[in-house]
Formats: sequence, structure tokens, C-alpha cells
Amino acid sequence: MMQLRLNPITRKRLQRFRRIRRGFYSFVILASLTLLSLFSNYLANRRAIVVSYEGSLYFPTFQYHDMATFGQQDEYGFEDVEADYLALQATFDAADSGNWVIMPPVPHDPYEPDFDYEKPPPNAPDSRHWFGTDSQGRDVFARLLYGFRISILFALILVFVGQAAGTAIGSLQGFLGGRFDIYSQRFIEVWSTLPFLYVVILLATFFKPGFLLLLAIMSLFEWIRMTYYMRTEMYREKTKEYCLAARSFGASRWRLIFRHLLPNCLTPLVTITPFAIVGAISALTALDYLGYGLPAPTPSWGEMIDQALASHNRDKIWLSVAPFSAISITLLLVTLIGESIREAFDPKQYAHYR
Amino acid sequence: MSRHSMRFLLLPLVLFAMMMPATAEDLSAIEWVTNNEDPPIGDPAAKKGGTFYTNMTSYPLTLRVVGPNANDSFAGWKRAYSMDFTLVSRHPTTDNYIPIMATHWSVQSDGKTIYYKLDPDARWSDGKALTAADYVHTWHMMQSENIVDPFFNQYAKDYFDQIVAVEPYVLKVVGVFESWRPLDMFDLWATPAHAVTLEEGFPARYNNSVLPVQGPYLLDEQVAGQYVTFERLKDWWGRDKHYMQGMYNVDRIHIRVIEDNDRAFDFFKKGELTYYSVNTAKKWAEEMEFDAVKKGWVHRKRLFVDYPQGVYGFAMNLEKPIFHNKDFRKAIQHLFNFDVINEKLMYNAYYKQVSAFTGTEYENRDLIPYSFDPLKAREHLRAAGYEERGDDGILVDAAGNRASFTLSYGSKGLERHMTVVKQTFQRFGVEMELRLLEPGTAFRNGLERQYEMTIMSRTSGLYPGPHQYFGSVYKETKNNNNVWAYGTAYTDSLIDVYRFDTDKQRRVAALYELDAIIQDEAFYLPFWQAPFMRFLYRDSLVFPASYFPKRTQGMTDWQVFWIDEDRAARLEEAMAADRSLGEDTEVDVDPYKVKDRIEAALRAAAER
Repeated sequence: MMQLRLNPITRKRLQRFRRIRRGFYSFVILASLTLLSLFSNYLANRRAIVVSYEGSLYFPTFQYHDMATFGQQDEYGFEDVEADYLALQATFDAADSGNWVIMPPVPHDPYEPDFDYEKPPPNAPDSRHWFGTDSQGRDVFARLLYGFRISILFALILVFVGQAAGTAIGSLQGFLGGRFDIYSQRFIEVWSTLPFLYVVILLATFFKPGFLLLLAIMSLFEWIRMTYYMRTEMYREKTKEYCLAARSFGASRWRLIFRHLLPNCLTPLVTITPFAIVGAISALTALDYLGYGLPAPTPSWGEMIDQALASHNRDKIWLSVAPFSAISITLLLVTLIGESIREAFDPKQYAHYR
Repeated sequence: MSRHSMRFLLLPLVLFAMMMPATAEDLSAIEWVTNNEDPPIGDPAAKKGGTFYTNMTSYPLTLRVVGPNANDSFAGWKRAYSMDFTLVSRHPTTDNYIPIMATHWSVQSDGKTIYYKLDPDARWSDGKALTAADYVHTWHMMQSENIVDPFFNQYAKDYFDQIVAVEPYVLKVVGVFESWRPLDMFDLWATPAHAVTLEEGFPARYNNSVLPVQGPYLLDEQVAGQYVTFERLKDWWGRDKHYMQGMYNVDRIHIRVIEDNDRAFDFFKKGELTYYSVNTAKKWAEEMEFDAVKKGWVHRKRLFVDYPQGVYGFAMNLEKPIFHNKDFRKAIQHLFNFDVINEKLMYNAYYKQVSAFTGTEYENRDLIPYSFDPLKAREHLRAAGYEERGDDGILVDAAGNRASFTLSYGSKGLERHMTVVKQTFQRFGVEMELRLLEPGTAFRNGLERQYEMTIMSRTSGLYPGPHQYFGSVYKETKNNNNVWAYGTAYTDSLIDVYRFDTDKQRRVAALYELDAIIQDEAFYLPFWQAPFMRFLYRDSLVFPASYFPKRTQGMTDWQVFWIDEDRAARLEEAMAADRSLGEDTEVDVDPYKVKDRIEAALRAAAER
């Protein structure tokens, strides 16, 4: 359906994007990584994926099962603490009783400290922890993975909300013009001078910071940039002949904006979005680094960088290699996509004069 | 009548008062006390000379000791070495009062009036005599609005009722309240009346001026952003006084500004600092085996000192419903696994605190610490009504309330400890959410009791302050140190014994009992203590046999070390020839038997 409604120019642009290989492959890689990260709980977790015990199947990934369920007991004789699936797997394998456990490829979650080392954490990468452990003994790979999910989801949602609101407000400003434009533009000017970081710190003292609150706060500022572009685009497009023509046919305002004008104003939206994603990931990382982002112990890249840069960890190289490479690669992928989109949407390619 | 004409009328009155003979009081009845029996603080064999190189993290914003920015990290140096010498002090090893600026003193029976006989030898560094008027001047300075220092304005109001120069060398101080240790409460330092005026513009006028000093060191060079030096006054009036023997030995103190402590460590390793304080357990455990240590050019010491540790640990807010139940609080105490945190995150460097008055003579050493004991914790949780686990593994009571609370804290450095604590709690069904706040906000939220659980950290003097922490009068109001909102009529009566009873045994008994009650109430979960100084120094630096005195908090407190020129030459020669002087393998020193005492108490508690 969607394919049918795209206008020929847009379709051509998409085809062109597919032909710019570095951009297209970056998109494929990033999209699959994002998709994969949605299943982080099945990739890196202390909880098993499936347990078959005494004829019943258990799927503990999102469900708390205590030790009693599987006939386990901890060193204090507790049965209501969470089941230890790795130990369970070892027991089942040894007993050969037909019970079995399927563990995720990385049997660690991003929270539980592993203190079974001679030296205090952080401990260097080994076969148990591929990327080593951080200064609390937590698995760096698991934190990286979950951190990626949070970063990318946060960025996608934030950018979606911001671009949608920015586009709507900017379009209205440009389309309606007049007094609405003048007043709203003044409001935007005032609003954009609010020091973002201080607002975050301030609000964090009143409300419990979390994913949604942070998203809301950052959305308050995210939409501004887009309004500038959409406003100018609208101002330009609404004076064009096709618009006059549509108007003379009696098209409603609504139809005029969404059916005729917006599709012709999408170039800045499409080209800016990837860079907005880069900005959002960096902003979240920076906030976490400063300690005003998501509350501990949420896995986050900013927090990992904070640990890596702490002076007492300056000899623990794996702590910095992991998050820095992850951020560099992600931002590189997004930037390549953005750059290719820009190229694909460049009107000059078609020697098409408007 | 305008304020101006009012002042005009008052002037003759003030002049008249000033002309009144100052010796209106009869001093013949006063019984003067002194103490010259205790050993000197330093080692009389110490040699004078040499330059001591050390570091600080930021360049001083001002050289004043009062007014804006005066309480920065440099203030310690100024106070200890040049400006702030007390009238009477406690001997840092015997705790007895010893004369410093006053040769004799006399405490009156009202517990707040003190007479001091000033040392007639005392001189300002510009040669002028130091008299009682200089102390009155300090009092006026503390009261003056012109110094722009609300802390001292308030301090003057809260502590001093009168300060009178009875005779040029006799000072009378009357405190605001009665105390059983007025000499500690109502002490003050002298300010050169001939050099300091209190007119408007005080902060700017004295921002960078080097004033005459009463102490042995005068500020010499100041290179903005880089370093500051002190020069020893060769003819300092106090150098031969009994308690000053072996003190203030180095000729020059060179304090370099090095913002990052790790960089300072590199400077030390390069040989550009004489002394370096090691302030992290990790550095102490992992980075001390460097070449200069192996070759004996540098010594490392962990000196156990006996200084109160202050209040440090989790505070539970008794106003919040989650902590109303004592069993729940006790369960939290039993789920706090100090040993794992100490071993896995802190290199086993620290000791568990048990008492609310750790390190003071009022610490109840018979208290048995709450051990990490999930079984006991479960009993308490069940008694508190938390029997079943919810779908997410967190305990719920019959009414459906989850065993969940929020920890608000301001120290990012403690975050890694807290996440480990959180995981342990969670395993046993208690949820602790972490909420990092900006440090100032966290502190204020604590005082205003806007939290469920927070981390409380306060320093302490030699004497604990149970009234401000546990006095029930503070329960009704906010903005005070009674952050837990605790206090009963009975504990108040115990605190009053401590505050007002002149019999020490009764005071000790009262606080022992209070300490036990606080432990049983379980709203304060003490963390750990570091009853030692860890430091490195070059072989040219020599210490007395017991290093620093017993009551030492930091290196600036008591300057008892000296530089031995022969050893300095030997060190230079050994370093040039890359020759070893033999490693100093004695790392832990415990001349005051503090380590023994703490470890014995912990062992005994473990056995019971």
C-alpha cells in the first residue's frame, strides 16, 4: 500500500539510496542490530530461555521463579530466592534425568556482580566474561548490549516525537503565517534559551528520573530545531503554482497541508533525522556520564564511559574499549545512513529545476 | 531620630566606657591552672632546616581566615601554621589541656566563664606584642557584618557572651551556655588589632594581604595557580616552649597546586614531592610496589590513629511508613553485607563501624554488630509481615505493600557500593531503588527529611554531639541533624546526663546506654571506618618514633616531622647511582594500639 502512494520522485530517491552501498549496508546492519537488541533478554541473561523440569516447560525470561520450583536450595537453605539456572543446568547435565535447560549465549545479566575472582573487580576479559567485568563485577558485554537497546530506542522515540511535533508546529507557522507565526516564533526563541542541562538537573530533584521522564524532558527541547526548517519550507511551497491550483479546486486547509505541501517539504526532515538520532544518543550518553541520566544501575553507555575514565581505572583498558567502540560504530553507521540519504535526496542529481 | 544622630549621642558614652579602668575586676581570688608535665608533642631531637614539598588540589581563593571563600582547602595550612593558634589545646596524645597562647587558665564554677593569662613572650611576626586586645578584636571581627561571613556572625552569637581584656595579659571569656568542657567550647584565636580594621570592604581589603602572624610560618611566595610557600620565622617566640620542642621543623613549605591526585602521585614518584597521602584503597593495594619503594628511597606507612570517625552510614527516615516497623529496619541491617563490599570493592581496607559514636571515649565497645545474616533477616521480615514474594520476586505484605524503598544519595563515588547492596537486598526480596541527587540537594533533602533512606556523613570532634543527632526537640522541626526523626523522653534524659552531668562515669554510662538503644532501634546502619593515615614519604624525611600524635586527622594537624640533610644527601647519591637503600618493609604502624583494639573487638563480637 505504502509503496503505491509514494510519489515517483520519492521512489526514485529510495532506489538511489539503495544504490549508495555504504549507506544501505549501514542501514541494514543498524536495523538488524536494533532488531536483535530487542531480544537482549534472550541473548544475555542470568535467567534461562527454556527449562524443562519434570515434564513441564518453563520460560523464565520475564518470569520470577524461585528455587523451590526446581528443587534448588541456596547456601542458607532458602528456597524462595531466585532460581540459579546455571547451577540448574549443571545439575541436570550431571543427573541425566531428562530435564534440561537452554541458557542464553551470554549467561549474565547487566546487574548481577560476579565476585568469583581472586582480585576485586574490574577483571580483564576471559572466557567467562568476553568483555571483562566493570568495577562492580558486572558483565561488560551484557551492559553494552542492554545499553545499546536503551540508547537506540530512546533516540528513535525521542527523534520521532521531536520531528513529528517540530514538523507540525513548523508547518503551521509557515502555512498560517501572520500573527500566529510571529507569536509562536517569539515563544520558540524564549524557549530555546532555557539551559537544557539545568532543567534536567532541576526536574530530577523533584521527580524520580526514569526513561519516560527523561524522554519527556528532552522532547520539550527536541522539537525546536525542526520548526525552523519546516517553517521556511512551508513559506516557500505555499506560494507555488500547484498549491494555488489545489486551492482553486477548493481543497481544504487540511488536505492542502497533508496531501500537497508536506510531501514536498520532506527533504529537510529526512536528511536531518539521522543526525538528530546521533545527537540524541550523544545527549543521553552525556547525561548518563554526568550522572543525571537514567538512574543506577540502568545499563548505559554514559555510565560505562564514566567508569572507564575514572582515574583509578586508567589501567583497565577493556572498560574504555567496549563503550567507545560501540558508540563510535553506532554513530558512524547512523552518520553514513544520514549522509547517503542526503545524497539520495539531493535535487541536483536529477538536474531537476524547481 | 535618624541613625546618624543616634550614633553621635552614643559616642561620648562609648568613649567614657573605654576610659574606665580595665582592672575593675579583682583577680586575686582566681586559681590559675597550667600543665607542663606532659611530654612534648614532637621529638626534641628533631633538626631544623630543609624544604618540604607537598601538594594541594586548588589554588587558594583568598588568604583571609574569615569571609567569603575563606574555608577552602588552603585554610587548613593557614590555620595550622600561621594564624590560628588556640589559647589552650588538648595534648594530641594525652588529651590533657596544655598551654599554647595562654600560659595559665582558670575555669569558673558557672561552667562558662574562663580567665586566661596570656604568654607575655608572644609576639606578632612584625614584632608587636600580642595582648588580650587582639582576642577582643577577633570577637569584634566575628560579629562584624563587614566580614560577609554569616557562619562566624552566627558562631559569635551562639558561643560568646563576653570577651574582655581585663589586663593587657589577662583575658576573660564568658560563654553563652554552661558546659563541662568550656575550654574546648569557648576557645578562639588572636587577630592583629594593629593591622586589621573592620570597616566596610573587609573581604576585598584582606583578600591577598599577608598579615602579621602568631604562628611559626609566614606566607612567602604566591604564584597564582602554581604554588604557595611558607617560610619559617627563625626567631619565632614559641620555638623553645615546652610543648613546641620538635615541632615546626622545616624551613620552607612548598605547596604545589596539582588538581588531580593521580598526577600528584606521578609528581611524587618523580621525586618532586616529599610527602604524598594515599587516599584510595585501590591505589594502596595495587600501586605501591614501584621502584623507589623497592629501593628504599621512599617509605610507605599506614599509621593507625585514634580520631573519632563521625556518623557515616544509611539513615532511615522514621517518618516514612516503610520504616515504621522496627523488624523491617533490623532486616535491612542483617542484609547489609559489609564483608563482601569490603573485600570485593575496597581491598579489605576498612573496618565496620558499629557504634554511633565510633572512636570517641563514649563508644560502647560491647555492642555486637549486626552480621550479614539472611536467616535472621527473614525472621524479621516475616515479623514485619512480609511473607510472600510477588510476581517480580519482591516481598509483599498482607495488604499488598511491596518491601520497596528509595535510597537518595549525593555521592556518585558510592554508587558502585550501592548497586552491590541493591543486588543483595533484591535477592532476599527487598527492593532498594537508587536515586542520585546533586550533592547539595541530597544534603538538604536529608536535613529536611525529604527521603526514605539516605546516606548520612558527618565529621565528629573528640566529643560526640548526641543532642543534635538524637534530641527529640529536633523531631518536631526540620532542617537539623536529627535526620531520622528519632527521640524519646528517655533518650533525652540520657543525652541530658551527657550534656550537663559533671561526673564522667555517669556520662559514659548514659551514652553507652544510648548507643545500645540506637543500635536496637536500627534506624542508623553504620558503614565503615578508616582509622588510619596512609602516606608515602621520601627517605630524607624523618618522623618521631610514633609518627604523628594519636589524635591526628590530617598531615597539616601536627608538624612533627623534619628533614635530615645527611639523609637527603645520601638519598640524592643513591638515586644518582641507582643504588638501593634497602626496602622499608614495615608498612603498618600501630603505636597507639588502635588496630589491635578494633580487630580484637570485631573478633570478640564474631565469637559471641
